[in-house]
Amino acid sequence: MGEDSEWVSPGEVLGKASKFKAGRGAYVSPDNLTVYASLTGLRRIISPPPDSPDQRPTVEVTGHKAHGAIPEPGSIVIARVTKVMARMASADIMCLGTKSVREKFTGIIRLQDVRATEIDKVDMHMSFHPGDIVRAVVLSLGDARAYYLSTAKNELGVISAQSAAGATMVPISWTEMQCPLTGQIEHRKVAKVGG
Amino acid sequence: MAGKGGATPSTYSPSPTTQKTKSLSFGNDEVLRPDDREWHQCRPAFFQIGVVAAAAGSAYADFGSTKVIVSVFGPRESEKAMMYSDIGRLNCTVSYTTFATPVRGQGLDHKEFSSMLHKALEGAIISETFPKTTVDVFALVLESGGSDLPVVISCASLALADAGIMMYDLVTSVSVSCLGKNLVLDPTLEEESHQDGSLILTCMPSRDEVTQLTITGEWSTPKINEGVKICTDACSKFSQIMKSCLKGLDSALEEEDSNVD
Repeated sequence: MGEDSEWVSPGEVLGKASKFKAGRGAYVSPDNLTVYASLTGLRRIISPPPDSPDQRPTVEVTGHKAHGAIPEPGSIVIARVTKVMARMASADIMCLGTKSVREKFTGIIRLQDVRATEIDKVDMHMSFHPGDIVRAVVLSLGDARAYYLSTAKNELGVISAQSAAGATMVPISWTEMQCPLTGQIEHRKVAKVGG
Repeated sequence: MAGKGGATPSTYSPSPTTQKTKSLSFGNDEVLRPDDREWHQCRPAFFQIGVVAAAAGSAYADFGSTKVIVSVFGPRESEKAMMYSDIGRLNCTVSYTTFATPVRGQGLDHKEFSSMLHKALEGAIISETFPKTTVDVFALVLESGGSDLPVVISCASLALADAGIMMYDLVTSVSVSCLGKNLVLDPTLEEESHQDGSLILTCMPSRDEVTQLTITGEWSTPKINEGVKICTDACSKFSQIMKSCLKGLDSALEEEDSNVD
């Protein structure tokens, strides 16, 4: 959709706010209603969808490296459980969506956010173990220490775990995983992966 | 001799030793500066981005003999001891290498410059775009040749832009020294040691906004006006060099004619 492209750097004027909407890498200054670039990259103009009430094209800056991804509420993350306590489990966020994070971010899954039903019967130690890889959604920015994560959906939960014997376990139900070597069954909050 | 001290000899009297320095006869208009520049001429400026592979963004700046390198890390998780904050944090550290100054130093962090760098940059970054996280800016002065802080500030804004941190505008900074009746743009270490006062202006050139103004020493109002005018002019010229550096048009672009007159 990009019609004309041109290199811009932060602070360059992209156009008047009356003519353009600010997309990614651009912002509108309220003082003089001008759209400025806030990143280095290529200027692209995207035509509005024909049925939208706002007929201004969107101007955005893309192409250059943006800063590393940071978690925001609603994003799906892949995290590794580091510590399991009675009321919460802490996990290091490794991927945001499909992108790996450049810097480490800590998240916690609280007892009430493990699953959607019967949340009073959840046992943290029956849901996660240290080292498990979980898929979770970021609930909120959390507190000063960590992001709050939730696994309270069918497709969220443990996606990969190792048994006590050290083998990668096979999910057999939404609460159980089995070790292929010993046949031992361990409890997890298992994610429903694929169809 | 005392008359050479400027318009305010009553409070300022340079020591006889500084007056006798050979190269700095600043009572005389025809005499150029030690490095043959005009009064309102900057040193040749050189910028380069992406010099530190481990950092998210980095920049190197070289103004005559002042050489600095700035690395930007993050946005990354704030320290655990920090309070929760809806907006991003900026953490700045300016340090000197042990060999930066003519006298071998300790290579310690410069607390004052660190907080001034923070103040100069915090107004320019869009901190709402990285809530709860911290961006770390580490500036290292490799060689101190005068006007260290302005060079660090300009270089840091370039490093932030290289790291992809959203900014309202590039930040450029220039200082002028008051030497007798002359205003000296982009002073060297030697000129700084003889100055009656200094003015550091930090601005966002394409938005015509000043993020920081530091004035020390004795200044009259007309002098301040003139100094600010010289600085804003030089700042907008520097921003052109920085922009072309960011776009990679000519990374080895050198500019010498930041002459205001």
